[in-house]
Amino acid sequence: MSFTTSRRVVITGLGVLAPNGIGKEAFWQACLAGRSGIRQISRFDASTLPTRIAGEIPDFNPEALGLTPEECIHLDRSTQLAIAAANLALQDAHLINALTEEERDRTGVFMGAAMASIEEGESLWVQLTNGGTQPLGAITEDIWFSDSLFLNNASAAAIAAHHQLHGPSTVISTGCSAGADAIGQAFWAIQEGQAERMLAGGTDSSISYTGINVFSIMGALSTRNEDPQRASRPYDAGRDGFVMAEGAGVLLLEERNLALARGAHIYAELVSFTSNSNAYHMTALPADGAPLQQLLRRALAEADITPAQLDYINSHGSSTPPNEVAETMAYKAVFGEQAYRIPISATKSMIGHTQGAAGAIEAIVTALVIQEQVLPPTINQELADPQCDLDYVANEARRSAVNIALTHSSGFGGVNSALILKRVD
Amino acid sequence: MAHHSRRRVVITGLGVVAPNGLGKGAFWHATQAGRPGIRPIQRFPTDNLPLRVAGEVNDFAVEDFVDRKLANRTDRMTHFAFAAIQEALSDARLVLAQEHPQRVGAVIANTQGGIEYALHQIVALHTRGPRAMSVYTAIAWLQVANVGQTSIRFGLQGYCKTPVNDAVSGLDALGLAFRAIARGAADVLITGGCEALLNPYTLLVWTKRGHCAVGDDPRMYRPFDRRAAGLVPAEGAGICIVEEYEHARQRGAHIYAELIGYGQTNDAHGLLPPSSQGKYYSRAMCLAMQEGSITSKDIAYVSLDGRALPSSDRGEAEALRSTFGTDLEQLPVSVPRTMLGHSHAAAGALDTITALLALQHNLIPPTINCEELEPSYGLNLVRDEARPLSQPVVLLGGRGVGGANAVMAIRKGA
Repeated sequence: MSFTTSRRVVITGLGVLAPNGIGKEAFWQACLAGRSGIRQISRFDASTLPTRIAGEIPDFNPEALGLTPEECIHLDRSTQLAIAAANLALQDAHLINALTEEERDRTGVFMGAAMASIEEGESLWVQLTNGGTQPLGAITEDIWFSDSLFLNNASAAAIAAHHQLHGPSTVISTGCSAGADAIGQAFWAIQEGQAERMLAGGTDSSISYTGINVFSIMGALSTRNEDPQRASRPYDAGRDGFVMAEGAGVLLLEERNLALARGAHIYAELVSFTSNSNAYHMTALPADGAPLQQLLRRALAEADITPAQLDYINSHGSSTPPNEVAETMAYKAVFGEQAYRIPISATKSMIGHTQGAAGAIEAIVTALVIQEQVLPPTINQELADPQCDLDYVANEARRSAVNIALTHSSGFGGVNSALILKRVD
Repeated sequence: MAHHSRRRVVITGLGVVAPNGLGKGAFWHATQAGRPGIRPIQRFPTDNLPLRVAGEVNDFAVEDFVDRKLANRTDRMTHFAFAAIQEALSDARLVLAQEHPQRVGAVIANTQGGIEYALHQIVALHTRGPRAMSVYTAIAWLQVANVGQTSIRFGLQGYCKTPVNDAVSGLDALGLAFRAIARGAADVLITGGCEALLNPYTLLVWTKRGHCAVGDDPRMYRPFDRRAAGLVPAEGAGICIVEEYEHARQRGAHIYAELIGYGQTNDAHGLLPPSSQGKYYSRAMCLAMQEGSITSKDIAYVSLDGRALPSSDRGEAEALRSTFGTDLEQLPVSVPRTMLGHSHAAAGALDTITALLALQHNLIPPTINCEELEPSYGLNLVRDEARPLSQPVVLLGGRGVGGANAVMAIRKGA
């Protein structure tokens, strides 16, 4: 029953825009230094909301990152972030404007997004209805909106257009697992021969009145407004909800022989993609993390490795009280004694929860860990939660030998996905 | 192409929520007779809107499919999905309690999310403040709500995905399910699309963008007509039970058809309606046909995208010509969704269901409203009346804003 193929898939380019750094180098240095990108919200007036902090990208200059003047004017922010991340990934792989027509025909784009055009959709709606007080239709003259409004596949389509990529393209919108799912599906597409190269990742930018309040009203967000950099604290006893953030991450995945033939730098090989569903609750895992247990077991089986071979986990770690308990229980149930040995870190402690981009940015961190043999920390570990007693690489980066690493995501709607990456000799 | 072990994938059950019929019986009865479901919009006032007709689902009783508590926490898109899933499971005679829950999942496409629910809540937020917003807003709104609620309701612990790809989303859902089952990642997937995008806001944005027709003529969705002026939007859901062949055979399931090939490409021409160039759409057709080892002689009809914009229609005709050459004159093509309107993420699934019923009843359903077929397209378009069908394969084409081209090949029986 298990799928076999001779085609292997490697990661050869990384592009990232995160609240604590733009571009692979700045982002990685910020992560190693444990630098938080969480700050007071500036994108809208949040003064009436219980949560007034988020992970905003402070100085995003689309033009400097290779977007055309048309893209700068006609696309919304999340689509612009996606194009910028794709540009960075291709640059990193030394393939920007370098693919032949034949190669571009066999290169596709899969992106993850959870929130899509919420920010622009809300502001235009408010304008058209005079703050929600008038029926729509009274004000219709001279309205302007982006080309991407309500076009929730815009990120993949815009990247394909920018780089003239004619292979398969789609957006996967499985909530907070979307980025990991897009990468996993792209991995499968190359394995199965539907493409030779794929740009894959995720994007989201929805720091707006509605984008924040939909989660605020559920009690899902941290309210540590007075201390933003310490608000996202996965595993720490003082955690009180996730911190909304914006960002984009794109990886270039490449069929291994093609990458070897062109002498490409290979960060890591992608060896398995596994995905399941909680069938439990729209916003929660069962306390014992049973679905996550099943996911991890299958991921190890598909990658044909034992817990003793697993050297690092980049976790979902959203800073949500029940999530990290369930995660920790699942690690112990699946890895046994090894659970205490395997270092785990949560990138969301530094950048918050970038929604559809999270799984992609975390895959980028995992690839960098394998290359650099350094583990970025989980920051804000101050007061231990007795239910979370594993090695979360607290507060300080450290060197560690990493040959095989796993990253996993869980989302609203109950989709869990895991990717396993392996060092290339 | 890689050499790999590949499992066969079949469709064993159907569920339909369409503007011209709720349930596969009513839907087929209307569709084979060319009976449209595009009418003046009933659910909200259209006085100030440039478009006043649509493919609206009017006789839908939510309480028949979703209990009241859940209905209040979910959007109309999810209600449609639940109705179609209920019918599809029963049509497939699939008893989920007998299945391994980790081997069963769902792939349900959607483009606009639960926008009606969300707009109500945004109004509440802006007029009455943060606490007036429903706690269920996020989970009713996000596209993932459909697979999330489905997996909870039916206990699906396997592979679940939500493709969002404009008008090809529904075909993409079938494509993802096809690949996932073929490679062994699941045995049974509840697959299709749902869409409930008929609200004043979406219609205003789309008409301003020129992506759909304007006016109040219920017959104005006329692809390949020389007067073509855009599509008419619609809502609905289509769900197929997609299953591994041996699994279906062992439980004695009725097999409508086998999924035999899928091709997907992108025109990469920007966030615009389908391009006037057919090159990459033709490549998607060829990929699907090669994978399914079929030639034009096997094809009963090609179900077309029929965007009903002159440039997009020209691109589609060009793709057909470069794929089929002189065989195109003989090859029947049709756009049965002219009867429904374009239900975006549901469309590819409804087109597929139409084709499965067409193969079962040996009839090609017609394209309506195309009274002045543009002769330079060179199409053998099945117009106004159903035509007998004899070959075993249907090719289903779709194109989206943003350049995606998707083509699925299905073969009757297995």
